[in-house]
Amino acid sequence: MISDGTGAATSAPENVGGSVEHLFRHESGRIVSYLTRLLGPEHMDLAEEVVQEALLKALQSWSYSGIPANPAAWLLQVARNSALDAIRHRKVSADKEPALVAELTAASRPLRPYETSPDAKLRDDELRMIFMCCHPELSPEASVALSLKAIGGFSVREIARAFLADEGTIAQRLVRAKRQIREKRLSFDLPSGFELIRRLDSVLEVFYLMFNEGYDAHQGEDLIRHDLCFEALRLARLVAGSSVSAPGVHALVALIALQTARLPARTDSVGDLILLDQQDRSRWDDRLIAIGFDHFDRSITGREVSAFHVEAAIAATHTRAATPQETDWNLVLSLYDQLLQLKPSPVVALNRSVAVARVHGAQAALDQLDKLDGDPALRNYYLLPAVRGQLLAEMNQRGAAVAAYRQALELSCNAPEQRFLQRRIDQIREADSG
Amino acid sequence: MPNYMLLLYDDPTGWTKLSPQEMQTALEKYIAWSQKATSEGYLRGSHRLAEDVGKVMRGAKVTDGPYSETKEILGGYFLINAANYDQAVQRSLDHPHLEYGGTIEVRQTHPMHGEE
Repeated sequence: MISDGTGAATSAPENVGGSVEHLFRHESGRIVSYLTRLLGPEHMDLAEEVVQEALLKALQSWSYSGIPANPAAWLLQVARNSALDAIRHRKVSADKEPALVAELTAASRPLRPYETSPDAKLRDDELRMIFMCCHPELSPEASVALSLKAIGGFSVREIARAFLADEGTIAQRLVRAKRQIREKRLSFDLPSGFELIRRLDSVLEVFYLMFNEGYDAHQGEDLIRHDLCFEALRLARLVAGSSVSAPGVHALVALIALQTARLPARTDSVGDLILLDQQDRSRWDDRLIAIGFDHFDRSITGREVSAFHVEAAIAATHTRAATPQETDWNLVLSLYDQLLQLKPSPVVALNRSVAVARVHGAQAALDQLDKLDGDPALRNYYLLPAVRGQLLAEMNQRGAAVAAYRQALELSCNAPEQRFLQRRIDQIREADSG
Repeated sequence: MPNYMLLLYDDPTGWTKLSPQEMQTALEKYIAWSQKATSEGYLRGSHRLAEDVGKVMRGAKVTDGPYSETKEILGGYFLINAANYDQAVQRSLDHPHLEYGGTIEVRQTHPMHGEE
């Protein structure tokens, strides 16, 4: 008699394809965190191996039987069993063995009333893992890669693709980061007091970098890069919902959510870039916008005003405008003034000049741009001449505008950006001849 | 209508290179195939075989599994019905197992007494 092994899958047709989005990635992060706490940070590799094995068993078994009622619990149990095997085979030092076996075995018995739910415990482990992977002793680039690998469930190849780097470089970076965790004996404990403030700053910096790595338009559009934005958002929300949250965390969640909401509108069907004032705003993601505003409200409860707060406020101002014409440019400009004080950078100054143009006119903005000429940080930044070209075109100085766009084309930019710049040049020429 | 066994062989080490997301995508394809086969009424059952090597018996002699020297192992089976081999093969051609480099052996079962 052959049992109908497909029952579980067919009884839940709304789960076509089965599973919760990114179930494997997210469960991978949770269980790796849990096992890293148990086995110790020096055995993070073993934790990752064990989880990879559990996922593989799930793939092989669920392919025939369908997805079980509680896939997360299934994966956790299989990973526990494999960890027990590894411990018995002496991959972990003998003095830890009895305690580990006790904990891994106890984990599968029913919960006593006074105990924290396993779900809350796993969340706590993930939080500790975030603080360890984003430790200020590690370089921010290493922290981004390590967080994506260990907590995000990304593979080395996926991280390499998102970073436009080769796999060997990323693999090396991960090995070095793990070695530093071992050698510096970075702990898996949650920091507290002043230490917490310092460590939280480092965590937020890493999330911001992860988000920018995914969002940065001049790195090309690849879905894996959008995944980075969503992973940064997921991790930031996880911290925002924890006991160690602070207004700055909510500000970062707001910023990431509001920016990520625009991703669907940022490119057209052939992958060409669409600027903010040309975007079809109905394609902005309402769910993410709601998340963004919710966290924005929560970010302004404290006295702290961080760069994240101001950047989130700028994003919120753009989001509130139903059409580009309704944008409150006076507010945007004053926010950029604030941002420039908190984060004096030529890129911020360049962005500010766009707001200057909307409030005080193109000539005033061009005067600002002239001050940025020769800044070494912008020497190869195509957006400086591209913005100049835009402003000159607005002032009907067509020849100078084309020259500026040409200059932008000579600097490093990707194919969609090149097509964008070329299109602007063509439009100006058409206007000229027409 | 006769039943056909689809015997799925693969090289298990091939899967270890997949990322969690790629594994999930593969899983979703397998499940989608089963769902389609169920909704079109020809899937009769399926089973995954345990990952150990199993036992081989010859007379009273019992040895450990048969496939230590081969790379591809029998991982599981689906049982479907079809009018003939052509249709059975047709119904298996879009199985994701093939896309992921596996092999499917299609074998008709003999009807039991009293079965159509």
